[in-house]
Amino acid sequence: MKTVDKTSAGISRRDFLKASGLSAGGLMISISLPASLLASTGDSAHELNAFVHIAENGDTTIYCGRCEIGQGISTALPAAVADELEADWSRVKVLQGDADKKYGPQDTGGSQSINKMFAPMRKAGAAGKEMLITVAASSWGLPVADCYASSHAVYNNVDDRSFQYGELVSKAGKLPVPENPTLKSRDQFRYIGKPIQRHDQAEMVVGKRVYGADAKVPGVKYAAIRHVPVLGGSVKSVNREKAMAMPGVLDVVVIPRFENAYGSIGGVAVVADNTWLAEQGLEALEIEFELGENVSYNTDEYKQQLVKNVEAPCKSEFEKGSVDKAFKEATVRHSATYVGGHLSHSPMEPMASLVWVQDDKCEIWASTQDPAGIQRTIGAYLDRNPEDIIVHVMMSGGGFGRKFKCDYVQEAAAISKAVGAPIQLTWSREEDTRTGYYHSCSAQHIEASVDAEGNVSGWLHRAAFPPIGSTFNPAVVQPTKADLSAISDHPYGIENMQVESGMAKAHTRIGWYRAVYAIFYGFAINGFTDELAHKAGVDSLQFLRKIYDNNKNPEQAEQVRRSRACLDKVAEMAGWGKRLPPNHGMGIAVHHSFASYVAMVVHVEVHGSDVTVHRVDCAVDCGLVLNPDIATAQMEGAVIMGVGLALNTEIRFENGAVVNSNFHNYPVLRISAAPKEINVSFIGQEEGPTGLGEPGVPTLAPALANAIFAASGKRYRSLPIKMA
Amino acid sequence: MSYSITINGKVHTTDVDGNMPLLWFLRDTLEMTGTKYGCGMGVCGSCTVHLDGRAVRSCLMTVKVADGKQVTTIEGLSADGSHPLQIAWLDNNVPQCGYCQAGQIMTAAELLTKTPNPSEKDIDEAMQGNICRCGTYKRIRKAVADAAKQMKGA
Repeated sequence: MKTVDKTSAGISRRDFLKASGLSAGGLMISISLPASLLASTGDSAHELNAFVHIAENGDTTIYCGRCEIGQGISTALPAAVADELEADWSRVKVLQGDADKKYGPQDTGGSQSINKMFAPMRKAGAAGKEMLITVAASSWGLPVADCYASSHAVYNNVDDRSFQYGELVSKAGKLPVPENPTLKSRDQFRYIGKPIQRHDQAEMVVGKRVYGADAKVPGVKYAAIRHVPVLGGSVKSVNREKAMAMPGVLDVVVIPRFENAYGSIGGVAVVADNTWLAEQGLEALEIEFELGENVSYNTDEYKQQLVKNVEAPCKSEFEKGSVDKAFKEATVRHSATYVGGHLSHSPMEPMASLVWVQDDKCEIWASTQDPAGIQRTIGAYLDRNPEDIIVHVMMSGGGFGRKFKCDYVQEAAAISKAVGAPIQLTWSREEDTRTGYYHSCSAQHIEASVDAEGNVSGWLHRAAFPPIGSTFNPAVVQPTKADLSAISDHPYGIENMQVESGMAKAHTRIGWYRAVYAIFYGFAINGFTDELAHKAGVDSLQFLRKIYDNNKNPEQAEQVRRSRACLDKVAEMAGWGKRLPPNHGMGIAVHHSFASYVAMVVHVEVHGSDVTVHRVDCAVDCGLVLNPDIATAQMEGAVIMGVGLALNTEIRFENGAVVNSNFHNYPVLRISAAPKEINVSFIGQEEGPTGLGEPGVPTLAPALANAIFAASGKRYRSLPIKMA
Repeated sequence: MSYSITINGKVHTTDVDGNMPLLWFLRDTLEMTGTKYGCGMGVCGSCTVHLDGRAVRSCLMTVKVADGKQVTTIEGLSADGSHPLQIAWLDNNVPQCGYCQAGQIMTAAELLTKTPNPSEKDIDEAMQGNICRCGTYKRIRKAVADAAKQMKGA
C-alpha cells in the first residue's frame, strides 16, 4: 500500500485521497482525514485512511477501522461506504482493520465513531464510484455526465451497454483519486438510514464469531492471573512449589505494577496447558501481598466524606450572576444532595488477549477499544516502535469503556516475554470485577431558588468525585473545571449559577464507563429539577419546558431547541399526564451528552420495596440515523444498563479491596427485571449524525427515581436506589 | 483414565484430568470456542450446552461427568444455522456484542423442547439464568416466542 505524502496532507488540511492498484488486481482506496480531525488522536502522524477493495470478480471488501464492541459500527460505517460506492451490499464483505494509522483514529470511545468517520467514509465510497464511472465512460467514449453507477455496475444514458464493477477495477486503480467526489443527496441513499442487517449476526448465532478470548495460534499456552487487591500494593512473596508440582502447570510469573497510564496493577500469573489448569495453579499458590496506603479505602465512609465535602463551600470553578442574590429574593428555595457509587463495566467477555512476544516480532490478538493505545503501551514496554507491534483487533464481547485500557494486554505481553511462548490470558470474572477502572463514586449538592414568576433564578451545584484524571496523575484530587463543564454548560436558562469542585482523592483506578460523568450529572440535575417542580407546585414537564425556554443564550439555542423537542416528543409518546392506576407513576428526564439529546419517560409500579419498570419511552435526537435498527438496539441496551445501575449495582471497597466478585454480588440486570415495553423514537434526523453509544444511559436513572416518587411519594437520591 | 464424549455427533476420546470443566475442554483442548466463559460459577449462562438434551452450565460440568454422554454445543445445534431459534435470532437482530448469545440460544432451545408453547412468564423464567450485558432482553423474548410459533407450525 502506498503511503500518503506527509507534506501535502499536512499542509492541505483537506481530505486527501490516494488509490493504488493491487498486485493481485483490484482497486484500493485510502482516504486521509483533515488535520483538524487528527488533533484529537494525540498522535503526531498524519495519514488516516479508510479502505475499499474491489476484486476483479467484483467481490468488495470494506474495512472498518473503528473497533466493534457490539454497537454495530462495523455494519453502520461500511454500509455508508457501500451506499456512496453504489455497491451491492450482498457482495460486500466487512473486515476489521488491524491497528493502523491508515484507518484514522481507531480509539473507540466517547460515542465518536459516526461523528468522526461518517463523512470521510462516505467520501471513500463516492471517490471509488467516480473512478469506476470514469473508466467506463472513457472506454465507451462517452462523457462522464452520461454515465452512472447502480448496484455494482456502471450504465449510460445513451445505449444499453454496461460494465460490472469487477471489469473496471484494474484500470480504475491506476487513476488519480478525486479529492472532492460528489456525495449523494439524502433521497439517493440506499443503505444509509435503512435497517440493514448487521454483517456479523449470522456468525454469532452459530458460534463462529471470533472474540479476543477465542484467539488461538499453534503452541499457545494459557495464563490466569491474580492481581494485587489494593491499588498501589505489590506482591511481597510467592510460594510456587505446590503449583509447579501440578502436571500441566508450566510457569509462575510475577508481574510488577507498571506505572504507565494503562499499565498492569501488578499480580501473579500462572501459565499452563489450559485456562482451567492455570486457575488451579493460582489456587495452589501462596501469595503474600504488600497492600500499601490505599488499604484505608472504604467506600461507605468515603461517600459520607464526599457528602460532607459538598455540603460545605468548595472551590468555585464557574460563576454567573450571583446565586446569593437570587437565593435572598427567592419565593421557593430548596437544596438536596445526590450520591452515586462505583460501577464496574463487567462486559460478558472478561479482559482477554493473546500476545506473542518474539525477538523480532510482537503480535497481538485483542478485544480492545483502543488498538493504537496497545501499540503505544506495548511498544514502550518492549522498547520497540509502536508501529512494529502488530495488533489484530478482535471482536469484543462488550466493552462499555473498559477495553479502552490495555492493562490486560500488557500483562499477557509480560508473561509471553517471560516464558517465550504465545500466551492467551483470560481474566476470571473475579479479577474483572475486582481489578477494574471504575466509574467514579460521587456526591453532588445542589441549592436552587425559584422566583415569584416561577423561574428558576439561582443554581449552586457542588460536585465531588474522584476524576478520571487521577488515573493518569495522582495529584488530581478533585474535579477540574473541564470535568465540571457539563454542569456549567448545561442548557438550562438560569441567570445566576455557581459550580464548585469538592475534594475527592482517588483510591482506585477511575475510568470511562458508558456515558461517564453524564450518569451522575444527569441523575442529580434531573432529579433535583423534579424536586424543584414539586416544591413550586408545577407539573414536571411544564417546569422543564420553562427552564429550557428561559435560556436566551444564542450560543445554546440549538441545545435548547433539540432538548425541548425531545421532551415534547417523549411526553407525547408516553401520554404524559394521563391518569394512572394507584401505585403507578411516571418520571421524566432529558439530558444532552456526547453531542446527542435524549429524553425519557419511565413508567413504574411500586409496592413497598418492590419496583416494577413497566415501560420506557425514549425520544432521541442523534441527528441522521445511519441504521435505525442498530440505533434502536443501542437505546434498548442503554435502558437495560440504566435500570441495572439505578436499582442493582455498586462496586464497594472495604480495606482497600473490592468486595464484589462475580454476578451473584454484582447483580447486573436479568431478563425478568427488564421493562416489558421500550419504545424508541428518533427525531431531528435532518441534522448531521452524532453519537449514540452512550447518550441513552444518563436519563434512565433520574426518570426512574422521579417515577418512583410519583408512584410512592418517596424521593431517592442515591444510586443504586435502595427501596425502603 | 480415558474419557469418551460425543460432541455434536462426533466421538472425542481424551485423557485430560476428569475434573476439568467441559467448558475448558471444549475451548482450550478442542478449540471449539463457540461456548463462552462468563463467570465460572454457573450464574451467567454464557457457557450453556446440552448434555443428553438437557441445558447445563459447562463451566460446572466436568469431563468425568460428561463421559459417555452426548454433548451439543452452539456449533452443533443445527448443521447450517437453520434451527428456528437461530433464524428467529436473526429475524429480530438480537445480538449486539453476541458473546452471551450462544448460551442464550442453547437455554432457549431446551425451553422449547420442554415447553413448546411458552408463556411470557415461562420465557422470562427459563432465560433468567442467562445474562446479557448489552441488554438484548426485549429481543430475546420476542425471538423465543417467534421460534416457538414457527416450530409449532412446522
